[in-house]
Amino acid sequence: MLTKFQAKLFFLIGTFIFSAIFLFLTYDSLKYVYANPSAKTLSDEVIRGKAIWEKNNCMGCHTILGEGAYYAPELTKVYERRGPEWIRVFLKDPQAMYPGERKMVKYDFTEAQIGDLIAFLKWNGELDLKGFPPKPEFKPTTQTVSANAVSIAQPEKFKQICVACHAVGGAGGNVGPALDTVGKKFDLAYLENWLRDPQKVKPGTAMPKLPLSDSEIKDLSTYLSQLK
Amino acid sequence: MKYKSQKIAYWFFATCMLLLSLQLIYGFIMGFARMGFDGLHDWIPFNAARATHTNLLVVWLLTGFMGAAHYIIPEESESEIYSVRLAYIQLISLIVVGVVSIIGFHFNVWEGRKFLEIPRPLDYLVVVNVLLFLFNIGMTVWKGKRHTTTGMVLYFGLFSAALLYLPGMIEFNSQTVDSYFRWWVVHLWVEGVWELIMGGILSFLLIKLTGVDREVIEKWLYVIVGLTFLSGILGTGHHYYYIGVPEYWKWVGGFFSMLEPLAFLAMAMFAVSMYRRSGRNHPNTISLYWTIGSAIMSFVGAGFLGFAHTLPQVNLYTHGTLITAMHGHLAFWGAYAMIVLAIVTYSMPLLTGRKLWNNSIGLFAFWASNIGMLGMTGAFAVAGIAQVYLERKFGLDFLTVQKEIQVHFLGLILAALVFTSGIFAFIWNFIKFGTPTDEALGAETSSGDIHLSGRS
Repeated sequence: MLTKFQAKLFFLIGTFIFSAIFLFLTYDSLKYVYANPSAKTLSDEVIRGKAIWEKNNCMGCHTILGEGAYYAPELTKVYERRGPEWIRVFLKDPQAMYPGERKMVKYDFTEAQIGDLIAFLKWNGELDLKGFPPKPEFKPTTQTVSANAVSIAQPEKFKQICVACHAVGGAGGNVGPALDTVGKKFDLAYLENWLRDPQKVKPGTAMPKLPLSDSEIKDLSTYLSQLK
Repeated sequence: MKYKSQKIAYWFFATCMLLLSLQLIYGFIMGFARMGFDGLHDWIPFNAARATHTNLLVVWLLTGFMGAAHYIIPEESESEIYSVRLAYIQLISLIVVGVVSIIGFHFNVWEGRKFLEIPRPLDYLVVVNVLLFLFNIGMTVWKGKRHTTTGMVLYFGLFSAALLYLPGMIEFNSQTVDSYFRWWVVHLWVEGVWELIMGGILSFLLIKLTGVDREVIEKWLYVIVGLTFLSGILGTGHHYYYIGVPEYWKWVGGFFSMLEPLAFLAMAMFAVSMYRRSGRNHPNTISLYWTIGSAIMSFVGAGFLGFAHTLPQVNLYTHGTLITAMHGHLAFWGAYAMIVLAIVTYSMPLLTGRKLWNNSIGLFAFWASNIGMLGMTGAFAVAGIAQVYLERKFGLDFLTVQKEIQVHFLGLILAALVFTSGIFAFIWNFIKFGTPTDEALGAETSSGDIHLSGRS
């Protein structure tokens, strides 16, 4: 068996060798990171966004690159998933977007701060993460109910916000119902009322009251009423 | 106790008990929030509760390690602590920094990087504080009459832990690099140098409790910490799979993570075999429970459950889910919390001269907290596995999945109640021991530490 001296040697030499390898791999990894295209897109906006991210301990609920807590969604791909407009609306008043759901602190960010945060989230989403987060293998697909619905041009706002939860023609989210035939069920006046304040029409609904201007509400309800 | 200055250890341990109770409260706040009862949201949002919960853990464990050092180092180096006054100043300043940080968390003041939430200005105070501690203990070792391996490993562990705090204080612009160096602190602490500290304490306790020859125990201590570093240093790679660094980390991290349980297995086998070779019946069997228990639970929690999700193919799905919380709870409990509680149970009779070992409260504390912690780990495991399948495999919305797994947090809370009852029993016993007295000097004789040996 080993003597105490040999055991000590095993400890010291082992530690030294593996520390040396680790330091070398660290050097190589940093070289790789700084040679990556992402290093060039690391703008002041992104850096400011990261500072806001840390200053408010977003990692205390969310994860990014899979690091953080597990109380709120993973945000690495949130830019791709939701789009900048949706994130902007959400950050202005997080609880309004998810009425009665798990709460996020309302931080009262300024427009500029929200812009920085979006830049930070976009930058992280574009990193080469070797396949993380994984694409779901058995994701339920949204069926196209009416091929007709696809041919009607969508208002900008619809593409920016509504598709995060609703699908039209098989494309979009599956949190709310698909909207392919919504125009059959509801008329223009009802849709306008609904968009103005969903809680008033149907208390307790998961549909948030979105910050929409009158003309946006008009556009959206006109569009929706055509989906038959 | 043999040396008067060992009494300082008591005050570090008392601080541990206080911080541990606070940590439990914040754990419950989070458990209830996950069940949908987040009535405290406006005052203590989840991120504040979480930062407080984990930072209290780190601070109470470090306080426990410091207490252990104040107890062990005088005995190992056969001399009094270099400066008793410095030790008290250091403890008080540690508490002040800790309290200020935690209050700050509730007012949205922090540097929000997981486990390193203490804001930068306070980081400098932490550094000064730890330097004070290292200076004081270092001078004790330096001036001591004897330099044992156990003492040196413990000191080297504490020293490296301080050194490795520094990479966490550098600012990086890229989230990838930030994450890279954050793990230098977090991983190299818990899967590296903290294990030296744990090994040092474990070896001290085994020498005292089993009566096996110091040479034999210390030889194995070298082998175990050698194995720890051999697997643990490059094992850091298992945090680097998906943060934007080169692909080879999947191979390096995956391979060395597979070796990591070996160090823990060796530790468990070592503790059990030393116990079996034990020539004496040390009267403080509860301390032996905690010591052997720590070696075994660290293998289950840190070794086995860690291995369960560090292979890159598995980690792709489990990274950033409740599976990490499952592993984290049992790992910290087994490896670090239990070893601190072991040294506390070992030293309390000797510090106070009261023979309160082996009572039913102490036994209840051991079993209830361990069963409770296993239950909590189970609840996290079930919730985590469900989360991985629903969210990562089936692509359901995050919040939809969270509602599906809410019910498992009822299980978590029930198990946490059992755990808490155990910890309360432990603290109750701790309080009953009272404060250390000079009359306990030389208490080893009355405790049987020297005379009850069966073989010498």
